[in-house]
Amino acid sequence: MLLIIFAVPAIVSLLFWCTSNKRLLHAINLIGAVLLLIFSFVITINVASNGRMVFPYDGSFLYVDSLSAIVLDTILIVGFMSMVYSVGYLEIELKREVIDLKKMRLFYSLTYAFIFTMVLAVTTPNLGVLWIAIEATTLASAFLVGFYNNNHSIEAAWKYIVICSVGIAFALLGIILLYLSTPAFGEDAKSLAFNWYYLFNHASQLNGGILKIAFIFILVGFGTKAGFVPMHTWLPDAHSQAPSPVSALLSGVLLNSAMYAIIRILTIVNKNLGESLYTGRLLMASGILSVATAAIFILSQKDYKRLLAYSSIEHMGIMAFGLGIFTPAALFGVLFHMLNHALTKSMLFLSSGNIYLKYETRQISKVRGLLRAMPITGIVFLFGIFAIAGMPPFGVFFSELKIIFAAFNADYIVPAVILVLLLAAVFAVVAVVLLEMFYGDKSSETPPKGKINHLGVAVTILMLVLIVVIGLFMPQPLTKILTNAAATIAGK
Amino acid sequence: MGVYLNFISSLILISAFVLVANKRINAYVRTFRLQSMLLAICAGMFGINNFLRGEGFELLIVCLLTIAIKVVFIPTLLKSTIKKVEYKVEKDFFLNIPVSILICCGLFLLTYFTVSGIEGLDKTDIKMYLVNSITVILIGLFFMISRKKAIGQIVGILIIENGLFTAAILSTRGIPMIIELGIFFDVLTAVLIMGILVFRINENFDTIDINKLKKLRG
Repeated sequence: MLLIIFAVPAIVSLLFWCTSNKRLLHAINLIGAVLLLIFSFVITINVASNGRMVFPYDGSFLYVDSLSAIVLDTILIVGFMSMVYSVGYLEIELKREVIDLKKMRLFYSLTYAFIFTMVLAVTTPNLGVLWIAIEATTLASAFLVGFYNNNHSIEAAWKYIVICSVGIAFALLGIILLYLSTPAFGEDAKSLAFNWYYLFNHASQLNGGILKIAFIFILVGFGTKAGFVPMHTWLPDAHSQAPSPVSALLSGVLLNSAMYAIIRILTIVNKNLGESLYTGRLLMASGILSVATAAIFILSQKDYKRLLAYSSIEHMGIMAFGLGIFTPAALFGVLFHMLNHALTKSMLFLSSGNIYLKYETRQISKVRGLLRAMPITGIVFLFGIFAIAGMPPFGVFFSELKIIFAAFNADYIVPAVILVLLLAAVFAVVAVVLLEMFYGDKSSETPPKGKINHLGVAVTILMLVLIVVIGLFMPQPLTKILTNAAATIAGK
Repeated sequence: MGVYLNFISSLILISAFVLVANKRINAYVRTFRLQSMLLAICAGMFGINNFLRGEGFELLIVCLLTIAIKVVFIPTLLKSTIKKVEYKVEKDFFLNIPVSILICCGLFLLTYFTVSGIEGLDKTDIKMYLVNSITVILIGLFFMISRKKAIGQIVGILIIENGLFTAAILSTRGIPMIIELGIFFDVLTAVLIMGILVFRINENFDTIDINKLKKLRG
């Protein structure tokens, strides 16, 4: 089963090259998307009841435990939503003659390749392959960022590939150092010394001094990809210039995959050191720095997709902060937040794509009277803004609350207070800047000419329902997986 | 064996210094080719050694791949790219060469003292390999920020990758084959994509000076 989940995105990605019929391309895409959704259910149920899924029997090729299952689920669900959304989005772009059929095929193929690389990253037990997969995500999505081929998007794509390739190089150095810290294993275990579960089970035999240095390299390397300040500069550019379905994937799941890599190595390092103070300080500092920087930059944004991108930096910062606390409650909060952020942010990016198609601009100042021009998308976007800013009853609020409570319980009073103040600031700033889009005089404004992506609107409504449901009532298997994963990370 | 490897890893480091001293874009590619050749020799020596001891021939394949990809293919590709986008020869660096070399010496010292300070690294030769290869990585990074042209950045990334490979081969005596292959594949694809992007930058901006890419800020 796991092998099928692993292979399907790759096969679908290649299938697009067999045809150039428009209907057939859409059909392949929809079939692929539905398969992704089915897989996510299968994984959730299987992992919730058995604790893990492996292929082959010893898990040397593919290994999914509760932590990987959470990230894998977000990848598959957001992947499904984005790909269904893409059908409507690309159809309108075709009609506007912004793209042609060949570019549409390229888009589909690269996006599935992108999903495949992320699936590979979270299903492989091998840290070397994990690194290769994360680097491959950059390569698969570089052309998607530069998809519109104008000055801005080319600049964004160049920055994206250069900064991420360099950053990820440091992560490889970190992994090599991790490998160097395994002298006690002997020759026959050499081939296993790259596997995280093997390293985790034998963490006490590793060399702590080398691990500390390795962790810094890993944090900088994968942190670049996860969007930690000050390595974040590629992120707002790439997220704002990419087509909206790709922005949703970048923000909703790519950042999580990089975060996943950090978490995996964090568990090994903390288990070896026997405490979380060393990694905790590093993670909390970068978390607070990210939230603070994002708050400042959100205030000065003129482009709504860029603003959403900065908000992603903020949320990755919150997760890093929670990881720094490293109590089971905090880790539960982090993983729950990961899920909430992925769904909420990708929904916002998808609705921002609808707004873009209607108004044909990304400038906040040129979008006026949103609720009048597009009532449904307007409402979804409004709820999305409240959700991402952290208002009840949406999931983001509850997970932020969990992380902050955990911080107080773990006696990190000062950092927690700083975080609360910063979150309040972000809330105010997001509301002030984005709510401008809903104002406007009926008489003075000219109605926007663009088209409405009906399929896209349906997808965003579905996601809104999902967010509210998860916020109010969490399904049993999900709670179980989250608790298990938090316990795994904490090493219990 | 150890003496030769030490010698070669030092030569790789020196070639990174040579790169920083280069003035013309064409010279970057030549230096990169030289460095990759040294890397291939290093992998080849290790590979023969391992092969004679009956530990498999994986490093020999790595050696051949390095020659095929990094010594032959990528430099040829870069040269043809340069020919197509480079109209006029102009100065390509912010800092003058002596200052750059001094900064690189500083980077070496920094790495030396940092790596010496790691607890638990007792083998002197592994320490030395790490110092050399991490310095190559840092010099590659410095090279990227000190040059203006897009080609300089591609070469910088390749130098960083070479430094990583040196670290991987020398200090771990060969990492698993599948990972090596994956890294090669990634490097190759990255260079191909960046090559295409350089063309697009040239089309859209009429230059490959990346300082002109300043539209997206804040």
